[in-house]
Amino acid sequence: MDIQAYIQSGVIESYVLGIANEQEVAELQRLQHEYPDIAAAVAKCEAWLSQTLPSFAEPVAPPDKEKIWAALQEPAAVINKGAREIPMQPAGAKRVAMPARYVAAASVVLLLASAAFNIYLYGKYTKANQEYLGLLNERTNLLSDNKIYQTKLSTLQENMQLMTAPEMLKVTMPGIAGKEQSLATVYWNTSNKKVYLMVNNLPAAPAGKQYQLWALVDGKPIDAGMLEDCKNLCPLKTIERAEAFAITLEKEGGSPIPDLSQLFVMGKVQS
Amino acid sequence: MKGAPTYTEQELVGLLKQRTQKAFSYLYDHYAPTLNGIILGIIQDHEVAGDVLQEVFVKIWRQIEQYDAAKGRLFTWMYNIARTTSIDMLRSRDWKNSHRNHSLTEDHAELPDRRTNYGEELGLRRIIQTLKDDHKILVELSYFQGYTQEEIAGMLNIPLGTVKTRIRAAIVLLRQQVKL
Repeated sequence: MDIQAYIQSGVIESYVLGIANEQEVAELQRLQHEYPDIAAAVAKCEAWLSQTLPSFAEPVAPPDKEKIWAALQEPAAVINKGAREIPMQPAGAKRVAMPARYVAAASVVLLLASAAFNIYLYGKYTKANQEYLGLLNERTNLLSDNKIYQTKLSTLQENMQLMTAPEMLKVTMPGIAGKEQSLATVYWNTSNKKVYLMVNNLPAAPAGKQYQLWALVDGKPIDAGMLEDCKNLCPLKTIERAEAFAITLEKEGGSPIPDLSQLFVMGKVQS
Repeated sequence: MKGAPTYTEQELVGLLKQRTQKAFSYLYDHYAPTLNGIILGIIQDHEVAGDVLQEVFVKIWRQIEQYDAAKGRLFTWMYNIARTTSIDMLRSRDWKNSHRNHSLTEDHAELPDRRTNYGEELGLRRIIQTLKDDHKILVELSYFQGYTQEEIAGMLNIPLGTVKTRIRAAIVLLRQQVKL
């Protein structure tokens, strides 16, 4: 090995200055034990460094001496406190981690508690929802009932207007002998000749049968209309002239001639 | 130094191991400006350099037992602490956060060979003023920024062997030029 070439290569300066790589450092440390010339060259370079660097010294502010002395008196752990120092280790690296199984156990407990609470809440939700649907249904029923009553009330009001009108002629038709319980009333508008029938009491018509109103004109019965499913004042036909009104039970749809054996009520027009 | 006792390195090591204020005072008075020159050469920021200087003294104070005279001079040992602590600061998150505009590419733009204000260099960095540009870049990257030879070869796109040879040549030149 050419010792002089090695010494002059600059590797010793690199080593002393701290910029030699690991391989160069290992090699030099081995060689300086073997070759005193190399060891001497290293010592010479170190001397050069210690004599040269003071020429590049920079003054330090006087308070720094006291500050640094104070820092040296602190316990090792708090030396770097407050200073903008290099973080020696990533923050939190030394934090003692909770054993994984405790974490896992805690997670399971939390999960179970959460699941139980969810079931409880779902139960409450279902019950409340059922109650809500019940109330909603009830409200709909009440509203529709209300509509029905309103319709009935307005019909009754209309009927009342008709019955109490001054041109309206009232013809009471009591039950004939043997059918005294029966009663019906004709309201006859003397100006437009319209006939309305109010059934006060008639037996329910048997299947296939229907009540028919007749007007007696000059002793002859004239069809005045069929009694449909009508609970209040039922508008029937227009009759120009009549001496009396009567109701018979006829076949469904009515007959041209009344079956007098089935006569229920009859009333004369009071002129 | 004026009239004060001077110690050899060996005596100073013994004093430091006693950890007296007198030992610290001597160490500080004799070495703080030189160590500060090393630190400022790398850091180029007085405020940050002050923090690094304190850390360097803390390390010397606490690690003096680990100093082995057989491996080299006390001064070389302290010099290495100052340089590595400074490089560590350059690499630290705090430094990068406070100097964000100095990205890797911009560091190249700020290489001394492209600077115009050489006169404002601080501390040891003044030592490379006399080098020619291609040597200056290598000393800047390896010594003052702490990159490895492999990293420098990649950054400058030149062969590793060339990097090694040029760094050694530049340092030899420095040693020859800077003589007392």
